[in-house]
Amino acid sequence: MIKPYLAVIADSFHSALASRILWIAMVAIWIFLAALAPIGYHEDYTTTFRWFDLDNGTQMKAMLARGLVDPKESETALGRLARTFPEDIQRKLRQVARGEDVRIDKGALADSLNESLDNEDWYDAEAWRTTVRLRELRELDEIPDDEISEPERRRRARLRIEAALPGVFTAMSARSITLSYAGFDFPAFFLIGKEQFVSLINQFVVPIMMDWLLGFALIFLGILVTASIIPDMLQPGSLHLLLSKPISRTMLLLSKFIGGCAFVFLCVSQLVIGLWLISGFRLDIWNARVLWCIPVAVFLFAVFFSVSLLAGLRWRSPILSIGVTCMFGAFVLVIGLIGGYFDALVRSPDRISQMSFDGQDIVIATRGGELKRFDNDSNQWADVIEGDFRRRDLIVPPVRIAPGKIATARIRGGRFNLYGSGSLDLLVLDRSKDWKPNPGLRLPNGTRRLLVVGNRMIAFNNTGLMATTIEQVLDESGIDDDEPDQTSDDRTTESGSESDNQPEAEDGSPSIEVSKIGVTAWITDLIRMQGGATEAFRVILPKGVTLTDPVRLDVLPDGRSLVVYARGRLMRMELPGGGDDAQRKTATLAADLMLDDNDAARATMAAAGQSVLLARADEPVRWYQADTLALLAEFPAPKDRTVVAAEGLGATDRFALLTTDGSVRIATRSGDRVEWGTLPQSEVTAIKYDQQSGRLAIAHHIDSIDFVAIGPDATASATIQRAVRPSLTSWRSVDRYVITPLRTLTPQTGELSQTVAALVSGKTSFAIGDVANEEQEVVQLKIVRPVASCSLFLAVMLTLSCVYFARRDF
Amino acid sequence: MPDPIVDVHQLRKTYRSLSLTGRRRIDAVRGVSLQAFPGEVFGLLGPNGAGKTTLIKMLLGVVKPSGGHARLLGQPIGSSAARSRVGYLPESLRVDRHHTARSALRYYGRMSGMTSAEIHSRSDELLKLVGLEGRDRESVRRFSKGMYQRLGLAQALLHDPDLLVLDEPTDGLDPVGRNEVRKVIDRLREGGKTIFLNSHILQEVEMVCTRVAILAKGEIKAIGPIDELAHRDQQKLIVEVLGDAEPDWQAIFGDSLTVDIESTRVRDAFRLSIAVVDQDQINAIVDQLRRFDQSIARLEVRRESLEETFMRLVGTDSVEEVAGEEVAGEEVLS
Repeated sequence: MIKPYLAVIADSFHSALASRILWIAMVAIWIFLAALAPIGYHEDYTTTFRWFDLDNGTQMKAMLARGLVDPKESETALGRLARTFPEDIQRKLRQVARGEDVRIDKGALADSLNESLDNEDWYDAEAWRTTVRLRELRELDEIPDDEISEPERRRRARLRIEAALPGVFTAMSARSITLSYAGFDFPAFFLIGKEQFVSLINQFVVPIMMDWLLGFALIFLGILVTASIIPDMLQPGSLHLLLSKPISRTMLLLSKFIGGCAFVFLCVSQLVIGLWLISGFRLDIWNARVLWCIPVAVFLFAVFFSVSLLAGLRWRSPILSIGVTCMFGAFVLVIGLIGGYFDALVRSPDRISQMSFDGQDIVIATRGGELKRFDNDSNQWADVIEGDFRRRDLIVPPVRIAPGKIATARIRGGRFNLYGSGSLDLLVLDRSKDWKPNPGLRLPNGTRRLLVVGNRMIAFNNTGLMATTIEQVLDESGIDDDEPDQTSDDRTTESGSESDNQPEAEDGSPSIEVSKIGVTAWITDLIRMQGGATEAFRVILPKGVTLTDPVRLDVLPDGRSLVVYARGRLMRMELPGGGDDAQRKTATLAADLMLDDNDAARATMAAAGQSVLLARADEPVRWYQADTLALLAEFPAPKDRTVVAAEGLGATDRFALLTTDGSVRIATRSGDRVEWGTLPQSEVTAIKYDQQSGRLAIAHHIDSIDFVAIGPDATASATIQRAVRPSLTSWRSVDRYVITPLRTLTPQTGELSQTVAALVSGKTSFAIGDVANEEQEVVQLKIVRPVASCSLFLAVMLTLSCVYFARRDF
Repeated sequence: MPDPIVDVHQLRKTYRSLSLTGRRRIDAVRGVSLQAFPGEVFGLLGPNGAGKTTLIKMLLGVVKPSGGHARLLGQPIGSSAARSRVGYLPESLRVDRHHTARSALRYYGRMSGMTSAEIHSRSDELLKLVGLEGRDRESVRRFSKGMYQRLGLAQALLHDPDLLVLDEPTDGLDPVGRNEVRKVIDRLREGGKTIFLNSHILQEVEMVCTRVAILAKGEIKAIGPIDELAHRDQQKLIVEVLGDAEPDWQAIFGDSLTVDIESTRVRDAFRLSIAVVDQDQINAIVDQLRRFDQSIARLEVRRESLEETFMRLVGTDSVEEVAGEEVAGEEVLS
């Protein structure tokens, strides 16, 4: 029964093989593969500095300037390193020290550091003893000089430089990949290890290849070649003979359709298998899942070919078939682009990233850099601080500091440069003043997180932790004095001015205190410039502790302890309290734990009850006892997913985990076993535990929030006690009622590359972006939607074609 | 009377189309009824637009009838069972250019549900039969139209069908090729096959068909054996008599015949055309001419040809459709 149709399919293969265009395409593919074959790579230690490794140029300038001019730094690691820079840079650094606005090219700084890698005359073991050395550096330091290899020596030199300039460099992988071609190294290299290199290939290179090479070039070529199949079949001398045979018209058409895919199958198979062999033999990446590209590419072609098929049946003209198919492709592309713009400009900026609560009032920060509050009367989010798309401001996550008071800050251009431009003022939102922002205390430069612990506000930046009192925050904000509202732009603060309440530093770390001991005012400026203490904020980081990215912080429910994770080091710090402890100025390191494995990995941490939970990328989630940091349990993250946010549920020893798939799981521990249940909310973008109400706030579907009470038996008793469902803004309405239906009805061919990425990488979602950022950008690969929409479209087109062909008189 | 192989009753086909100028309705076939019996070579004649192709398409299931019904080999038309026993040669066979004669036969054989072994054994035989032996591995790109027709005939015969529908089977063939096709048709008829033939070449139809149907404007104008359709009992005697001056025909033939005489001057003779009914009348006319010393240069008895029958039935609308074909049915004495 099926023999005649197999004959049609086989005939299509013969036809494809007889096509000159196929052979031209094949030769082109072989040439491409041959050109690609000499590619290779090798993994090295990460040694060379590049300009973008310098995470914070402002801080680096300030530190080096201080190292040059501060007599106290002359024999420290900082001072010794600063003197290795070329004379012209040293001259500029001295200008910086004098308070002049000097621009120093990051590339020049990086070049100078690279020269320092070759000659380690600047190194002095004694000077470096006081620096915070990472585990890797300590291990390399133990290798005798006569036994250390040159790559290891250069790596050690780099780590010594990083130790001398803490907080300046972006967290980087210890290994880097250098690509080579025919034995010659490419000048650029990737600052990633092999595992990340494989992920990069699977998650980005393969989808791009799918988009351009398979999704565009070969598909277009395939449409050109196959457009004549149906018109040719409809020629009277051919069609009438075929229809006179004892076969079904529908099956004949479907066989022709399948056969038409033969061309693309032959080309794609060669290309993908060739690429797979090259990646296997040359890059040592034997990922058989790459072969998924073949069926997906053929499927993608089938979607376009179904349009060509119907057009060919209707008009019997190859030119018209090609024209209609190209128009369809353009339509799909335009819809995809419009959808993408709506995602980027309408949906994504409105997505909730941070939340803060005061009773029934809700203040949120969005991905678009806006601060909003929920207006119950209008049932809409009202702007508190408007975002600027071009400037890319960064909103410091808002925190409740007192009843009716929420504090935050806006770093101008903070998404480009954490230190922003201009001064950084704390903004206090007051309910009694309709939540308008009131500028308050000057925050340490580069502050990216505020925490409230007891009556203290703690600011965290690259330099460390600094604290002030809530009373001072409120006093400085002028709220209680009923001062007229001002914006931070209007406020002017004199640099270097001293206040009566000057903080102190007892560990020699940067502090305004230095001005008290007679050092000139420019050092104060330098300290402030590099993110050191200000008039109000004093350093509380214990001596000998440096926070190197990635850093995560949380407050234990006891209100006295802080849990800090910093690049492979987990610490519990006790903050100075009252009574006997009142004289102590800095926090005490109460527990300290060094972790193995990849210390530069993306991490998430939370504290609850007597527990601390730490989730690092590609590692099991670990559950620690808060006091001792003893490991209590270790459990794998949900399959193919990464934890992107964690919240401790108050004093209950339970955690809410937000994973890359946009769902929330509640983890509870029983002995060394951890159980978790998933809450029903989907498309979750942020979670926050509301200490006041004891409810977990779950932000989902862009700007909706559910306040969920988690009962004793976790998810089973979770109930939504309040649901915030804001009315749609005009653009959001357009998105929901126009763009979304259009996207739903249009086959999402462009998104099939995401399907490929998921199939090839074996992951459906992953986090990207700077590991230092607490807010992780999550990429959720769409697998079902593009396949479903394309399958539906394909089914509709084939049904229409079959009905037309079966009913039509030819 | 055996069961008919082709049994058509009041078959109708109306094409409807919608255009900017309004709805159009074309009655391509208007209630055609005909039957073809086993072993018969049935010819279908008619001018362009008469509905012949539509009728064949309906029989093959390519076009769905608007009314009436028909059966092929006892099966409803369009059914798979009917089509599996029919071999069809389309008017302008088109074979994909990547084929050779042999691969094309293999392809069409599989479409007819044949096994590889069956195809292989039949291919050799048929390629020899249609004169493509030795050129079976050659790409059809290099084939002439005549070779295409031969290949088409081979594929139509490949699965040994009971009914052959041949649409202009000798189109593009040289005289030798036409003769060969005629021989094949004769052989098939002798083998008990039924052949349904559609051809413009009236001489060919007259030579091979046992019965014909003449279609015009979607209707059957006549159907039956060619001799019956051609009114062969009606004939004319053409006589050319030498002489410079026209003889007095009334004096020669008397009053009875002169009313039917048409006389025209042809070079050095006068041509007489006289309606006759039998041989005695012809003999009497010749005797009379000789009695008056008339010298007979040429004598011919002419019956109605198929073309003349066709023209008589179809009318003058389709003169151009059949012009240029050879005159059929001439018997010449000189």
